[in-house]
Amino acid sequence: MLTCIYEASASKRGHTNIKLVLEPIEQYSLLDQYIHVDADLKKAECVMKSIREKISPQVYRELAYASMAYEEEILDLIYRVLLVGFSYGADVLNMVMYREIMQFNQIRRRLGREVNHFQEFVRFHEVEKGLYVAHIEPKSRLVVALGPIFADRMPSEHFMIIDDIHKEALIHPKDEMYYLKPLNDSEYEQLLKTEEMNDTYTDLWKVFFESIAIRERANEKCQTNLFPLWTRKHAVEFKDNT
Amino acid sequence: MRDMQRLADMQIDSKSELQKEKTLEEKLEILSDAAKYDVACTSSGMDRAGKKGYLGNSCASGVCHTFAADGRCVSLLKILMTNHCEYDCKYCKNRKSNDVERATFTPDEICRLTIEFYKRNYIEGLFLSSGVLKNPDYTMEKIIEALRMLRGTYKFNGYIHVKAIPGASKELIYSAGLLADRISINMELPTQDSLSKLAPNKLMANIIRPMNQISGTIAMHRLAIGKSARMERAGINDHLMNSIWGKEVNRIGTDATDRANRLLPGLQTDADAFLFPADKKDLNLGRAFAPAGQSTQMIIGATNETDLELIRTTQNLYKSFDLKRVFYSGYIPVNEDDALPEPGTPVPLLREHRLYQADWLLRYYGFFADELLSEEHPFFDDAIDPKCNWALNHLEQFPIEINTASYDMLLRVPGIGPNGVKKIVNARRYTKVDFEMLKQMRITLKRAQYFITCNGKMLYKIPLEHRFIRNRLIDVDSVEIADIGGQSVQYKQMNLFSDFNMSCTG
Repeated sequence: MLTCIYEASASKRGHTNIKLVLEPIEQYSLLDQYIHVDADLKKAECVMKSIREKISPQVYRELAYASMAYEEEILDLIYRVLLVGFSYGADVLNMVMYREIMQFNQIRRRLGREVNHFQEFVRFHEVEKGLYVAHIEPKSRLVVALGPIFADRMPSEHFMIIDDIHKEALIHPKDEMYYLKPLNDSEYEQLLKTEEMNDTYTDLWKVFFESIAIRERANEKCQTNLFPLWTRKHAVEFKDNT
Repeated sequence: MRDMQRLADMQIDSKSELQKEKTLEEKLEILSDAAKYDVACTSSGMDRAGKKGYLGNSCASGVCHTFAADGRCVSLLKILMTNHCEYDCKYCKNRKSNDVERATFTPDEICRLTIEFYKRNYIEGLFLSSGVLKNPDYTMEKIIEALRMLRGTYKFNGYIHVKAIPGASKELIYSAGLLADRISINMELPTQDSLSKLAPNKLMANIIRPMNQISGTIAMHRLAIGKSARMERAGINDHLMNSIWGKEVNRIGTDATDRANRLLPGLQTDADAFLFPADKKDLNLGRAFAPAGQSTQMIIGATNETDLELIRTTQNLYKSFDLKRVFYSGYIPVNEDDALPEPGTPVPLLREHRLYQADWLLRYYGFFADELLSEEHPFFDDAIDPKCNWALNHLEQFPIEINTASYDMLLRVPGIGPNGVKKIVNARRYTKVDFEMLKQMRITLKRAQYFITCNGKMLYKIPLEHRFIRNRLIDVDSVEIADIGGQSVQYKQMNLFSDFNMSCTG
């Protein structure tokens, strides 16, 4: 992404004539010329450095965080935010009179909520003594954002969170730093089986989940609002025992 | 000594649980079912980072791990230690005279459940309450035993909310607070009269006194680690000229008895803070006393208190005891009794909702109890929320100009909340705010449009007239009210005669 931004600004085609899109492109437009850009570490570092120095490290962090979002316009928005940013400096994200900043902030907030959802709804299964594995199906590539959250929550456990959509795994060995690993098909197949490894505590949790609800106050609409169906795929309390 | 205690435990078990020991699953079912009527179940108010070798951390914003079929957040493993109870509170399902299945967790079972659930990311911590087993002191000791094991042996560093049993001795409550993050005593009913009617074994003094002591101890511990005596409140309150957390309420330094007297006239309280925990080792854990503060809950709709009384009591609790939260629990008819609403009475969900709205207005919006209700109108309007109601009754102060209004006034506009205000004020520093921007900021213009101008203009030409705006706002609210009951809105044919007060005389 950073290389794209570098190429875009170096191309001297005029900012208004450029739109950055992420591959794969689903719908090509006839009137535009497509330029493929390969990642280049040097160019990327150059952009990174200038964002940090000319805008601020905080803004860089926000941009990097937002780049996990699934929205396809995110790359172009980051580029537009940078253009505003280089003229205003560190306060750029408060400049809500610019439509692109507003849109960026909206996506950033939505992403924050999505990360929050998965912080709440990740369900670990004990695969063997002291090793916990969870599967998630998020829209955005957010598994890396869950790293610091769960590393702080369970610093002295072995655990692994697997993103089934993007085939990535976040691996946290006991008392060590977590890391990210792309999964190949055979690894993924093997890891899929962990979903069935339930133990007594999974059943106990279901019992608790049933009995904690007050029948007189039943409100399915409210429940669905707060716990959307698409995030429930791996929540054991909504799975039948069969 | 310990053997004798064990023997006594076994006797209780064998007497009431009829030889057969229940399985963990059965116990969990009984004791979570028994605990579900307790509403105070948040994991919030405390930021604590994880530690190597320990399990767990804590987030001030709170984390809901799932939502039960009633739409309530499940954040903590909410259980009773036992549902055996010596008391006979009329509203309670576990009262002595009810014939329900009884069970008791051992401390080890509580710990194992908490730890294993926590590791699977099912819960954020433990909420431990209990029926009164033998006497308050004995119950409290048992609760502390479980907590000590959880913090010590199992090295649990997550959130714990513990209930203090009214009537338990000071040393025990001090120990419990050192082990837990939040400690709470249920007030249940706001006056001594209601209490003696429905909870004959409870004394208001036994509730207010420890509440007072707990708040003093929290303040003492906070000062000792270099924080202010009073709990942190939502950031927005720092910008308000006037709120219930304002300067004129200065809890520290005022007399303990005086504070308690505001809630219960004539009560003599002893020293402010607890001095010694029951076990010196609890001090060695190096934990502050109830760092996430204390809370309480009140039952709504079992007695005839007015909303005004409830909300005034709430404000007093916040002001005098610096409670972090006051929870309301709509009464659910579980028992048949002459003194109670009949079984089958619908749960007062809307009333509970209105009270929570008012509670938020106190804590986040700079309102005072007496602004929201008066002796002439002691109940909240069912059709319209308290903030809109206030605005309608003070139309002379509106419309306000978004680009120049103060924090206090912006917060009082229906449809604008603390987040909205922050966004508006932030944007004002760089540009003139218009309605398009407000929309983008997700300000609820459906409500706000009647009360604001942007650069001197209102969104539409509308008369600033009480009845007109009220009808519009009732429309907006009806959707929300239907949501509370889990239904959708019922629309009806408009009628000139009933809707516009026309009459066909002549």
